[in-house]
Amino acid sequence: MATPATPKAALLQPQTPEALAAALRAASAQKQSIVIRGAGTKMDWGRPAGRIDAFLETRGLHKILAHAHGDLTATIEAGASLADVNAALATHGQWLPLDPAFADRATIGGLLATNDSGPLRHRYGTPRDLVIGVQIATADGTLAKAGGQVVKNVAGYDLGKLVTGSFGSLAAITSATFKLSPLPKASKTLVVSVDSDARLGEIVRQMMASQLEPLAFEFSSGTVARSFQGRDRGGPERAALLIKFASLPTVVDAQVAQARALLQPLAASIDVVDGDAEPALWREHNARMWAAPCALSAPVENVAIVRASWLPSAVTTALAELVTMGAPIDLVGRAAVGAGLLRIGGDTATQARVIARLRQSASVGNIVVLRGSDALKAAVDVWGPMGDRERLLASLKHALDPRNTLNAGRGPL
Amino acid sequence: MDAAFLSDLRHIVGHEHVLDDALELLTYECDALPHLRETPAAVVLPSSAAHVQAIVRLCARHGVPFVARGHGTGLSGGALPVAGGLVIALARLNRVLDVDIPNQRVTVEPGVTNLEITKQVAPFGYYYAPDPSSQQVCSIGGNVAENSGGAHCLKYGFTTHHVLGVEAVLPDGEFIHIGGTLADTPGPDLLGLLIGSEGTLAIVTKIIVRILRRPEAVQTLLAAFDTIDAGGAVVSDIIGTGIIPAAIEMMDALAIKAAEAAVHPNFPPADTVLIVELDGPASEVSALFEMVKEICALRQATSIEVAQDDAQRARIWRGRKAAFAAMGRVSPNYYVQDGVVPRTKLPEVLNRIRQLEARSGLRIGNVFHAGDGNLHPLICYDERVPGEADKAVEVAAEILTYCMDAGGSLTGEHGIGADKSQYMPKMFTAEDLALMQRVRAAFDPRGLSNPGKVFPTPRLCGEVPGPYRQHPVEGAGLAERL
Repeated sequence: MATPATPKAALLQPQTPEALAAALRAASAQKQSIVIRGAGTKMDWGRPAGRIDAFLETRGLHKILAHAHGDLTATIEAGASLADVNAALATHGQWLPLDPAFADRATIGGLLATNDSGPLRHRYGTPRDLVIGVQIATADGTLAKAGGQVVKNVAGYDLGKLVTGSFGSLAAITSATFKLSPLPKASKTLVVSVDSDARLGEIVRQMMASQLEPLAFEFSSGTVARSFQGRDRGGPERAALLIKFASLPTVVDAQVAQARALLQPLAASIDVVDGDAEPALWREHNARMWAAPCALSAPVENVAIVRASWLPSAVTTALAELVTMGAPIDLVGRAAVGAGLLRIGGDTATQARVIARLRQSASVGNIVVLRGSDALKAAVDVWGPMGDRERLLASLKHALDPRNTLNAGRGPL
Repeated sequence: MDAAFLSDLRHIVGHEHVLDDALELLTYECDALPHLRETPAAVVLPSSAAHVQAIVRLCARHGVPFVARGHGTGLSGGALPVAGGLVIALARLNRVLDVDIPNQRVTVEPGVTNLEITKQVAPFGYYYAPDPSSQQVCSIGGNVAENSGGAHCLKYGFTTHHVLGVEAVLPDGEFIHIGGTLADTPGPDLLGLLIGSEGTLAIVTKIIVRILRRPEAVQTLLAAFDTIDAGGAVVSDIIGTGIIPAAIEMMDALAIKAAEAAVHPNFPPADTVLIVELDGPASEVSALFEMVKEICALRQATSIEVAQDDAQRARIWRGRKAAFAAMGRVSPNYYVQDGVVPRTKLPEVLNRIRQLEARSGLRIGNVFHAGDGNLHPLICYDERVPGEADKAVEVAAEILTYCMDAGGSLTGEHGIGADKSQYMPKMFTAEDLALMQRVRAAFDPRGLSNPGKVFPTPRLCGEVPGPYRQHPVEGAGLAERL
């Protein structure tokens, strides 16, 4: 489901920031429509593209420009893949602690542009929390920087934040500087299953109120779909939680023991996963929404995947509401952040109806359609209402990209 | 400022909440950077977001520049009034609107003090993490404007990492709501742009912050060293080992002396002391704390004092947090800078500062956030001695040059304000600044909101020029305006 390019769409592959800026300037001067592309893992997110005259690929900009390991910072070109970057940073026992969708291929520029994150968000936040400086190119060919190379800096506007989540609609990111973290020495993951949504909610409440400090705190609820279909496929589980602890080995063991004691009365089962099985478990968890159909009968290309947020304490209410939506829905998310992904089955009309109902819901919000058929995206407002931000966003778009060179209408602006 | 404008202002907030008497205006001439002063035409004290909107609309209609002010504790002249302009003082917007413990969120008005948030949630075992040294008095609205940090931002980040949403009034008087109690507002991160924009983009009228659970354990030590190099090496060793302390603070001999004179924290008479604090799960803190003690010992710490209880920890922190004010004990006046260097460059830059101290004849105390390389050189001078104030500003400018040479920043947490705007071209190119101005113009095309701050004057584009006053640095030929 890649964005359909008009047949004549050119491919621009600049090898330097200056060449990238020059390519943008030339395109803008000719009133062309440009889509910036990293690894292309999220090209189908957002609205279907309008006319595209050229893709501007960042993969030629793939260098780690600096890794100041003593300062826990790195400056990285936009086209470098997160996986390659983390392999290099690991030689000094450090990492850029992000686990977005398609983390094996996703690029630095792409993950900033989408502000995409995964379970590690619980501890480390999203890309916007880790970016400390950027170099960007605007459509008129200006190459400018904001922020800096040091972890603490409030000089000037934080334009690195502004381009984060902009989906390439304001400027092209050519490189970014990040705050890094030390790689944890050891880790273990608790896999906790529960047999009611109420117990899931209680576990979330107790974990948040405790002084445990997990690295990630996830839950997935594939059984929402099951209860809709009115049959149980065996096993008492209605939801599963993944709780990862990472620190020194003895500390991990102590935290695991504390968590086990806390959750025992509420859980249907608790397993501890470590060793090679642990990263495999997390890979599977992260890929689950995007690949395997799981509880859904619909083929994967027919499902809609949307971003959603909720108040952490309201998870039980949110799940109960999802059951009433009249479609099979999976939910995977960050339990204490209240953010994650919904996967919606059913036909286009059903999905559109669910999305409309989600937008009316009191228990979930900030619904954005990432993946979905063109028919669905034509039927719903992909990004949702921008409220009283709309006028300012239009003004920013006009200020930075007055000829509408960038993003081909995919949004959010 | 015409009578009709003042009359309209009084109509909005009530007669007693508009000040235009010369004596009353004195309080508002400066913030906590007293060497920059300007008299506003009037000060207005709204008590609601609706008031703020009506006031800003009025300013927009009349083309009157305005400056939002919290509690006036800023150290960069960010709340310096504009001549002929209005100061919108937000101290009366001081309500705590919502405390949601289960979801770890608190909603407040901008005039609430930073510490008040923690006071509200402490009984439940929570706290608000950013802790600028002025936290007892500084306003959360000011923290948002400046993206304030504090001693514990090494581990926990800055204001931008703890604000989930704001309601704000744009310079044309329209409300905007960014973020909220729910995560992931779609679109570009306007909240991240607004936080730290120093009042030049909007006036925040409501703030939703996230609060953190108190960590299970806290351990604090005070280690003394014979040389600044040894102290700097300890900082690098701790980080290099993969430990991220809650805080690492450094003070030099002059700062120690001042703190002793003022609040008697019982610091050892040393060349350099480090305060290292770890927090987190008890098992983690105790294991890592032993490693920190070993690192201090290996680097020849002359003494290591471990806080045995909260009282002892509070005493150690009192010495650190009182250090700025304490400089008054050793010098009639002082000027604080806020430059940042990569932490690995600390020893090199601190040694350059010591050479500068010897050369300039002005004493320079150093009290700073060593963990993130955020210097706070306190340049001592006596304004009664002709030329000393100017010399202090010269010395400060030179220290900022050292920070730039080291690949650092002009400011880590105090903001650019009016104080450092003329140095922005040291850190940013004309293209960088022009792009920032384009963003500014998208919010505030007429440049009414806090003009003359952040950007060097006269304007690049869209900025209304403030009254020209020769800065001592210009007078000395050390810097020129763009």
